[in-house]
Amino acid sequence: MNKCTDSNIQEMLPDLLHRTLAEGERLRVEKHIASCESCQEDLDVLRTVKDAAVFAPSIDVDRVVRQILPYQTIIPETERPATKRPVSTRMVSWLVAASLALVALGGGSVLLQSKGGTVVRSSENQRTPSTVAKVPETSKPSAPESVVAVLPPAQTTVAPRPHALALAAEADGLSDGSLVQLMNDMDTFDALPGSEPDPVLSVDSGDSI
Amino acid sequence: MIPSPEGRPEETDMELINRWRAGDGRAATRLVGRHSQALARFAASAGERDGIEELVQDTFVRAFASLDSFRGESSLRTWLFTIERRLMLDRRRSERRSRETVPVEEADHVSEYGALDGLIAEEAQEKVSKSLDALSPTQREVFTLRVQQGLSYKEIAEVVGSTEGAARVHYHNAIQTVKEFLKDE
Repeated sequence: MNKCTDSNIQEMLPDLLHRTLAEGERLRVEKHIASCESCQEDLDVLRTVKDAAVFAPSIDVDRVVRQILPYQTIIPETERPATKRPVSTRMVSWLVAASLALVALGGGSVLLQSKGGTVVRSSENQRTPSTVAKVPETSKPSAPESVVAVLPPAQTTVAPRPHALALAAEADGLSDGSLVQLMNDMDTFDALPGSEPDPVLSVDSGDSI
Repeated sequence: MIPSPEGRPEETDMELINRWRAGDGRAATRLVGRHSQALARFAASAGERDGIEELVQDTFVRAFASLDSFRGESSLRTWLFTIERRLMLDRRRSERRSRETVPVEEADHVSEYGALDGLIAEEAQEKVSKSLDALSPTQREVFTLRVQQGLSYKEIAEVVGSTEGAARVHYHNAIQTVKEFLKDE
């Protein structure tokens, strides 16, 4: 038997078996095979090999599918909807929110206290922690904002705030007449000192004033 | 759409993939049903004897987990063969390593390309099995992909990580060997 020299036809034999040839090609190959013993033999071998493959075990499709994760759980977390955050992330968010709420409440109470102090100061009286302690038990209110209303006029002042200017503290102790005198004197003050001020730090010794 | 044997239009692999991405689990069932037997046949003809179902299952699990990397430039089946082949190579490597740690007499009966031994009962098919055993691993892969799966040389080259020309040479050498073997039997 002569060996076939048409490698193009030989290569198409598997395609003939799988019926993937176009109509024209199929007819050409079949015509060639009809007169070529070598290709007939090749085709028989290929058919035997192809048919032998059917002995692979059958696959349980449902079992395989059960192992496949849904697409939504496979895609990266960054592409997932925000509603699917892990529990730990949600806990941190709640803690942050609670902290912010506490800070806001604290700030709000400080603001309220500050406003209350302004109202009280408008009475032009002093109040120190010790004077607050002197409030009679019988007149002690249940709510902080009502403290101002029930305190005797002489005791309804708050202590100067620690960060208040010293001048303000001094001015609080002046009488109306002294304040008027001070205001008149300010008109005669020079805007700039007449001479250089004394040094506040000795460079040589490194001592402070 | 491609026509189904029943005459109604059948969804393409890409259409099923898109449906599965949209949350339709039935699309996965259709895809697995369409390709699982081909993967089992490829595994059997490539010499896998045990755990073919697990191999096919692992192939699908991996494939679905990385479907975003499938561009559709090749057919889905070719891509699945590529994944399955990699899994088979990994499995053989680990088997080889474990065999190195067990006594020789226990490992002797294990043959990488024992192939279809337990699967083919009839005499003619046994002959085919033995003839395939006579091929080199790459020849065997190329030959079975071409003859049993009907892949083109281009697709085969993609699966085995080679060139079309090399795939053709492997096929021609393989068919000569198989023919000679069957003639001598």
